Amino acid sequence: MTIGNTNIVGTLRPKLTKDELAWLKVELEDQRKRYDKIVQEQEALTPQREKWVKEFMERIQVRGVHVHFNIRRVVPKSEIRPRDGRPLQVIY
Amino acid sequence: MARPHIEPFVDRDVSFKKLTMPGFKPGVNYKMLSIDKDTGACTMTVQYDAGFKQPPGFCYSEHEFLLMEGSLTIGGKKWQKGLYSFVPAGVSLPAMSTDEGALLLVFYNFGPPSFVESDKDHQNADRTDFKMVDSYQGMDWQNSTLFPATAPGCLLKILHIDKRTFGMTFLYCMTPGFWQDNISYHDCAEEAYHIWGTSWMMQFGELPTGGYFWRPAYINHGCFASELGILAIGRTDGDLHNYFHHDPFSTPEENHERAASRLARMKPALYNWILTSEHNHLPHDFEYPNDTYKTEGWDTGIHMHDDGQVHHHSASGAHSHLGGNKKKKKK
Ligand SMILES: [Fe+2]
Repeated sequence: MTIGNTNIVGTLRPKLTKDELAWLKVELEDQRKRYDKIVQEQEALTPQREKWVKEFMERIQVRGVHVHFNIRRVVPKSEIRPRDGRPLQVIY
Repeated sequence: MARPHIEPFVDRDVSFKKLTMPGFKPGVNYKMLSIDKDTGACTMTVQYDAGFKQPPGFCYSEHEFLLMEGSLTIGGKKWQKGLYSFVPAGVSLPAMSTDEGALLLVFYNFGPPSFVESDKDHQNADRTDFKMVDSYQGMDWQNSTLFPATAPGCLLKILHIDKRTFGMTFLYCMTPGFWQDNISYHDCAEEAYHIWGTSWMMQFGELPTGGYFWRPAYINHGCFASELGILAIGRTDGDLHNYFHHDPFSTPEENHERAASRLARMKPALYNWILTSEHNHLPHDFEYPNDTYKTEGWDTGIHMHDDGQVHHHSASGAHSHLGGNKKKKKK
């Protein structure tokens, strides 16, 4: 849970054993490397992503943006929030 | 409790490791997809070697699995790919074996993998929600009943819903030629694994077969498309509401605040009630009178005050906005 309900009995032994802690430490180090690699790969995708975003912004002003299921709405230019130099960060 | 933003990660790019934790029999191999730094809760692809056998036993953590390739005999019944099981904490599974080997996706939802040999449930286990179902041959595809819904061509099979949180596990598919032109985020974390096929998102590019993500709450994703279609399994850790919009540059903090402002606009009675009782008040639910809520360690505990300052704080650190001008001030 993002915020835990303490009455959901999701685990019957919440305190980790020594073996589990050692395993977790190794896994977290691997995960940190995976995360760093993802950040790099996604950074490299930036020029392509900027193009995709530009195409999306054009499409929603012609074909429309999905509001619900098959309902679309063409977005008027006045409803496009200016970018104002905002970065296009995708990994947090 | 927190897992970082892992998106995208393709497990075909890495090799299996042997699971050697105490309790597990030889022949269990895994690829870690994401893991919680505090609890050890994790999602993994798991490969059982041909000939693998496991006696009856339980796991301390609630877990779920989907059989993706091969076959598994559980308690004398042979299952093919598509078997989905939800196993509450401490519920004993019958003896398990596979002649040809098996590939599974396994979610350990609250703690690390563990296995205790036992043909009886743990004394504190609650078996009520235990299930085993043939999700491929025994369940129908349905249109999304969420509101607002994903675009036509994205179909669901709901495998499990947590009755308290509405966190859910589901199979989903996209038809060939699927497209959805909006940007989405949620109040909950979302994870998914591609069993087959490639889809595309404007932020992260293509997610192929074996592709996985764990995405914390309030992070933009979409628009979406799939040329040839996909089959995937997804899971959330809370109620899945689709907040759609079309600003590719909005931040998680802005998305979070927008979600709160929509609550104020769409459910003003609820929003005002929360405000009048101070926002750290823990509400009482007559249906679950003994529930309490742990708010420490909330991984997205960031919000914006009227003074324009963004800061982190644990939600248990009591403070009030009521003395300020929160309700009066129009931004
Ligand atoms: Fe989503």
